[in-house]
Amino acid sequence: MLEIEGLHKSFGGLDAVKNVDFSVRQGEIVGLIGPNGAGKTTVMNLISGAMKADKGAIRFLGREISGLPSNKVCRMGICRTYQIPKPFYAMTALASVTVSVINGGDRPNMSLFDAAFEASYYLEFVGLFAKRDILAKDLNLYELRMLELARALATTPRLLLLDESMAGLNPGEASLALDMIWSAQEQFGITILWIEHVMKVIMAAAQRIVVLQHGQKLMEGTPSDVINDPRVIEAYLGGRHVVD
Amino acid sequence: MVKFEFKRDRVVFRWKDLKYEYIIEPRYWRNPAIGIALLAALPIVVWNYPAMLTMFTTANLLAAITIPLGLQLVGTARVNFGPQLYLGIGGYTAALLNLHLGWHPFATLLATILVCGSISLILSPITWIAKGLYFSLITLILPLAFLDLTFIYGDLFRGEVGLIGMSPLFDLGRVTWNYVSYYYLSLMLMLFYLLIADKIGQSRYGVTLASINEDEDVAKMMGVNVNRNKVFYYVFPSILIGVVGWFIVHTFRTFAGVTYLPLEYMLKVLIIILIGGRAYSYGAIWGAYFVTILEDVLRMAGPINYVLFPVFLILAIVLLPRGEGLFGLYHKRHHRDYFPQLKVRRN
Repeated sequence: MLEIEGLHKSFGGLDAVKNVDFSVRQGEIVGLIGPNGAGKTTVMNLISGAMKADKGAIRFLGREISGLPSNKVCRMGICRTYQIPKPFYAMTALASVTVSVINGGDRPNMSLFDAAFEASYYLEFVGLFAKRDILAKDLNLYELRMLELARALATTPRLLLLDESMAGLNPGEASLALDMIWSAQEQFGITILWIEHVMKVIMAAAQRIVVLQHGQKLMEGTPSDVINDPRVIEAYLGGRHVVD
Repeated sequence: MVKFEFKRDRVVFRWKDLKYEYIIEPRYWRNPAIGIALLAALPIVVWNYPAMLTMFTTANLLAAITIPLGLQLVGTARVNFGPQLYLGIGGYTAALLNLHLGWHPFATLLATILVCGSISLILSPITWIAKGLYFSLITLILPLAFLDLTFIYGDLFRGEVGLIGMSPLFDLGRVTWNYVSYYYLSLMLMLFYLLIADKIGQSRYGVTLASINEDEDVAKMMGVNVNRNKVFYYVFPSILIGVVGWFIVHTFRTFAGVTYLPLEYMLKVLIIILIGGRAYSYGAIWGAYFVTILEDVLRMAGPINYVLFPVFLILAIVLLPRGEGLFGLYHKRHHRDYFPQLKVRRN
């Protein structure tokens, strides 16, 4: 579904992403992990069209999307959430999701009422229907994360990019959020590329994991391969923690 | 074949695969209807006072400039400090074509739309490349540069004196009737703009507009074509403001850049937005009437009004709810009237 080849992005003299290759198959949950500054969010920005790659190819469903603006990428079926939630603070939860319903998919003649009605479905799905008329600035972190998920789902994505969805959540909320993401994948048949620092969650959720370090791909494999790989342990914890 | 469908709170029209819905619940149109009725009845009270009729006509025209400007501020997510540029372009286009080529006011209207549309389209990329203060500075300089041009090419624009003697839209023969007719025309123009702004605000385009105003990068990520929207919401309001210039030319029959292009006029328009309430189309009317009436009342106080007028305006800005202005006082109690409400029935 998504193929990335030789992806490269630098900021001035700093190579944030260097020659990264990996692919995501339909229906998969792929984890993208790595220490802070490894280039995970940059990869996500490049895929979603927020940034343009210096070199390399990003193919989605066989079409080259590298360099396309994010609104076109979204309409092709890729949507993302943010590490730090970026809601439309002065808009209600319903209005925020309605924006995605109207603009995200191919719904040229949908009226505001129909769009709001469909948006209410996504809010109900993430458990925010009762808060549909609350301004986003008045929602707590868990609710903001759920609002972001609803907003992303409302664009009818085929590939959902999750950027540290569990950051700042307590264990109970994280468990609820994980269930929500699983059921979203099952109900909407979406593929997920997921950046996550909470290892317990990503190891349980992902079928495959890609590890980045210093902008380069360190390894790729199943969660059990990754967690036992000395290179990954060294990258996260330092060389003295590797058991020979 | 058009199909009608009457629901409890709205009427639905269907034609081919298009669907239009209009709210008919009284609470959505009752208060605007009362407001329009009051404005329509105003000339009956001040029939014999042409100065007051002119004052209210000016208020209507200021509101007609402020309403599209509010749309532009939200749609481009940038503060335009030079809306009067298009007032000047529209006014001078109509005046010059009418005076020198003898064009009929309807022909000058088309020319005004065309000229304002073309110039704003050429300038519209500044909404992509300039953000925040830079955009404001560029838009601030443009009308001042145009004002300089009216002096440099004084033989064409007549500099400080301005252009005089353009044909009126119509002449009813009596001065009072003309004043009343121009009041109603300006009211219709303002209400037409209000209708446009309100329709956009209450439609699918309205929520898209709001999302651009909130965070254009996130809006883009949600599939909104931000660049196209920005061009539209720069060009379209500019044309509407240009048409106000055309209206001034053919009603007051005089047009001088020194009246409409300097900073003072822009400040008045921006203060109307602040006092009426940012991003509220209805607030523009409240603000325009407040500022115009205050200015005229304080003029009676003599030269001290040059101090009193700004003091009163500053007080109004400070004392009214921040950013929500006069209309915000009303809106706080009725915020749910302005977005479709979903009725939930659970068994």
